[in-house]
Amino acid sequence: MKITDAAVCPYPNGDSSVRRLALEAEVLGFDSLVAIDTPSGRYGSVEVRSGLFIRNAGMKDVIAQVKRAKDSGAVISVKAGDAGFNRGVVGLRGVHILRGVHAADRNAFDHVTAKMAADNGVAIDIDLSIIIAGRGIARQRAIQRYRDVLVLERRFEFPLTLSTYAHSVLELRAVREISGLCSLLGMDIPDVERAFAGVERVTTPPKPSVRVIS
Amino acid sequence: MTVRPPTLRDKRRYVLVRVDPPGTAIDQKELYYAVSDAVTSLWGDAVAAVIVQAVICAEGDYVVVRCRRGSERELAIALSTITRLCDIPVALRIIAASGTIDSLRDRMKTPAKASDETALTEECRFSGKECLVAHCDGQKVDVIEKGFKNTHRLFLTREDLEEP
Repeated sequence: MKITDAAVCPYPNGDSSVRRLALEAEVLGFDSLVAIDTPSGRYGSVEVRSGLFIRNAGMKDVIAQVKRAKDSGAVISVKAGDAGFNRGVVGLRGVHILRGVHAADRNAFDHVTAKMAADNGVAIDIDLSIIIAGRGIARQRAIQRYRDVLVLERRFEFPLTLSTYAHSVLELRAVREISGLCSLLGMDIPDVERAFAGVERVTTPPKPSVRVIS
Repeated sequence: MTVRPPTLRDKRRYVLVRVDPPGTAIDQKELYYAVSDAVTSLWGDAVAAVIVQAVICAEGDYVVVRCRRGSERELAIALSTITRLCDIPVALRIIAASGTIDSLRDRMKTPAKASDETALTEECRFSGKECLVAHCDGQKVDVIEKGFKNTHRLFLTREDLEEP
């Protein structure tokens, strides 16, 4: 099982180079990172995977961008919108992760979208940056939304991913600290381990249930 | 008032924390307020009263934070939510927890002063811009862009720097 941070933003989006982020991530206990708008590579023992984050786009735009990036090997994630948009995105072949559920409407991620996410192998991202840097009502609302997502996850078993969305090495957190932060959402250690392996789960092609031998 | 005998005193734990980026000026009082704010906003007043957090000492890049025994986990989670100190972005990295400050002192690494002084005067180029090296530790290099505007700290490695 690989311990993966599902979104970091290296220079020029952030203030840290991808090499430095990988170096720090290794010290903090990570095996791989998904770096937004950065080519893939391996730095030390940390594997950096290229990531594409589609935000503030309509459905047509999303379809076009996913089509373009489908064969690039990038981890494709889309920012959540309203309920109709989320259902459309989750049903789209090539999308790996739905992000920013905490910032969407209360009913934007419902049981229908959850079932679709489970069927299509699309992960829901838990962005810890709001829990780390947020204060007051913003953080309370995020915790409440993520608790609601976890209720649906236990019922439908769709994949989860964990991300710090770090723009700097100072925003990265150790694996143990992330486990502690996830305990605020009601996640226990096996849940956190499963979520850390979420990126691997959604990017590995599913094994066919029937194998032809000859 | 007489001092309580040791058996009647609260059991304490001391948490050793490293403040990143290295070389950040640590104001113990400001750090105390930051820790207190983080604990109170995350856990509320009731739990903060149980944790009884306090900043005991700050030596170089290291800080020792005290809490009641059994509440280290809560303190550690709260410490991971501290992102700024006097409006400077920082990260508090938890190194160890112990029952005595003395045992934590052994785990504090003293920075090599001479190499830091030479590093401060070093110039380099990154992404076509002139930069000053602010800190250098092995592969890690922190640089500050030269100039009056946008002088942010950038976190790089030696391999990222361009040949002059």
